[in-house]
Amino acid sequence: MDSFSNLPNQHIALQIQNLTKRYDDILAVNNLSINIYRNEILGLLGPNGAGKTTTISMICGLLPPSAGSIIFSDYGVKNQKLLIGYCPQENIYYPRLTCMEQLQFIGLMYGMTSKEVQERANELLKLLGLHDRANEKAVNLSGGMKRRLNICLAIIHNPQILVLDEPEAGLDPQSRVLVRDFIKEFGKNKTVILTTHNMDEADRLADRIAIIDHGCLLMSDTPQNLKKTIGEGDILEVIVENNDNIGFINCAKQLSMHFVNVKTNANSILIKNPGIIEHLSAIKNMADNFSLTIKEYKLRENTLEDVFIHLTGRSLRQ
Amino acid sequence: MKTFHIILKSLKEQYRNYWVLLLTLCLGPFFIFVYYLITETSETRYDILIINTDNGIYEHGQQVNHGKNLHTFLTSEKQETTPAFFIFNEIKNKQEGIEKLKNKQADALIVIPESFSQVLSASKRGDSTNLTTVEFIGDLTSADYMISAVWVNEMLNEYIFKNTTVKKIVTVQETPLGLSSKISIFDMYVPGILIISVIMLMFTATIAFISEVEQKTIIRLKLSKLSAVEFLIGTSFVQLIIGIISVVLTLITAVLLGFKYEGSLFILLVVASLTSLSIISFSLIISALTKSANEVLVVGCFPMFLFMFFTGAAFPLNSKTLFTIASYPVTVPGLMTPTHAISALNKTLIMNMGFSSIMPEIFSIIALSIIYFVVGAFIFKRRHLRLT
Ligand SMILES: Nc1ncnc2c1ncn2[C@@H]1O[C@H](COP(=O)(O)OP(=O)(O)O)[C@@H](O)[C@H]1O
Ligand SMILES: [Mg+2]
Repeated sequence: MDSFSNLPNQHIALQIQNLTKRYDDILAVNNLSINIYRNEILGLLGPNGAGKTTTISMICGLLPPSAGSIIFSDYGVKNQKLLIGYCPQENIYYPRLTCMEQLQFIGLMYGMTSKEVQERANELLKLLGLHDRANEKAVNLSGGMKRRLNICLAIIHNPQILVLDEPEAGLDPQSRVLVRDFIKEFGKNKTVILTTHNMDEADRLADRIAIIDHGCLLMSDTPQNLKKTIGEGDILEVIVENNDNIGFINCAKQLSMHFVNVKTNANSILIKNPGIIEHLSAIKNMADNFSLTIKEYKLRENTLEDVFIHLTGRSLRQ
Repeated sequence: MKTFHIILKSLKEQYRNYWVLLLTLCLGPFFIFVYYLITETSETRYDILIINTDNGIYEHGQQVNHGKNLHTFLTSEKQETTPAFFIFNEIKNKQEGIEKLKNKQADALIVIPESFSQVLSASKRGDSTNLTTVEFIGDLTSADYMISAVWVNEMLNEYIFKNTTVKKIVTVQETPLGLSSKISIFDMYVPGILIISVIMLMFTATIAFISEVEQKTIIRLKLSKLSAVEFLIGTSFVQLIIGIISVVLTLITAVLLGFKYEGSLFILLVVASLTSLSIISFSLIISALTKSANEVLVVGCFPMFLFMFFTGAAFPLNSKTLFTIASYPVTVPGLMTPTHAISALNKTLIMNMGFSSIMPEIFSIIALSIIYFVVGAFIFKRRHLRLT
């Protein structure tokens, strides 16, 4: 079911086993187990309060689990603190230090040399479009810039695993593009774990999505697979020009032998099926066989929203 | 009507911030209690040392020593007419007495002269040609000395009158301790104010520690390779520099306005640095118990006022022993380092005593600083710097 589960072990970055976090009467994370791989961008998708922040806080070591374990693969790094970069949900920075100053400071705190940290800071500021703001105090940056500075601070020490909590929340379009491109690039040869309650963000960014609700992991797979296999599937409306009744009805009959859900309207046939696009040419051939002229196709693809509704019975947006 | 809703909302906010509310309400009662501990739990007493060098005289077939009799008179008089305020102890050596005065183990030293009995006896026979002098030694800036001296002088005159029916055959010579006769009230307050400038560090230091927590940047530090000790030492160092600069500025201002001091500047800097470190360590305790600069402003008031008003910093203070550890008296103010710092500065800047004389103070400041630091660092690390 999970297209990643057949990857060999040496590709694992970290293993989460039966992770549980209980606050007095709330079970914030409930027996969550998942392997996270190297070179993948994993999106933890779930509504507000699902337990995403709690989960990654435990991954980063900021919060002790009530039960379960998180096992990091051997990266050959002496200090595990060097493995992880954490970009929290809210922007955390030194308001009175400039972008450059705080990047250098945090880098030095990770034991980098001044030369290393200087180079790295310059590179990151350029990468996230902050190089012309390098000597600006953080307090004077716009919201989007603060977010980007926050990402720079998270990866100044060049970690193998980057954890981002709601990286795109509240971002202006320009910052969003920069951040998205950056995460895509970073995820090519590192591990990225990001949380989001935005399915569009998850869909575009993540190689794999883990759907979380009420602290439970419901499903994890690539966005494509999720959309293909879960929910009612795509809806294709085939509008025909010449609905001479016999051919139209016979065609619909024929189609319903191949697809789960086929309905007819006055001059169109509605087909609901996961991954319908792959069958487009077959459908066209069939229409030709019944001498139907297709005027237009209308496709409504299955979204992650549909997947989520199917899994939880609730909308992600609520 | 809107006012009513403001009241309601304000009440709710106050009530939900009950920790701060509680502290604000407790401040007054707390200081009443502290003042009670400091002043009421032990009785007021004045320790007066007597050196009797009187040779005595042979009179009516008997050896008479008026010096000894005066001692007895002072002691018995005390029991009849005055509360047991005045404690007399006879000692032999003047130097030892002066040391005790300087270390505040005694309030006044009375030296009865060799010819005391002789002059009294002669005067009784009507021969008042010879006079003699009783010496009073003490710190003229100390209220305790003044009270002791006035009382002893009164009793002395009464004793002489009783025994000779003559007055004015004994003069009193007052010998001030150190600089104490030369200094003004202003000079007297300066050591305390120097230490107040260090006590003020409490706010900047606490806020320096807590701002990392408040702006959450401590999360970044926790995740980095920085150790708690490095963090605490680094942050403290800047505060130490601020403390020293502030003492020096205060001293310069005082000197420009006419403050005269004895002793070395070096000792002042040592005392100020150690006291700064102790205040910084104490600030660590406050920041360990708070989460934001706002809370610090309320919580910090307790130690701030204690350190200002109950250590002799804002005005001179006498305090009584709470309990003793290895014969070293422990007082409520003694638990706060400024008390020792001010005592050390008084000894060096006013009394012109050497470095060795303030060793007990230096030791107390260091010991207390270590205690503050260990307690503060322990709680701070647990509350703000813990990573799983
Ligand atoms: N410190 C805490 N004390 C009590 N409950 C908490 C605490 N932190 C989070 N929670 C609860 O745990 C659940 C999961 O929270 P969180 O992980 O922040 O969700 P998400 O990041 O997915 O929005 C929520 O119900 C939240 O109210
Ligand atoms: Mg969250």
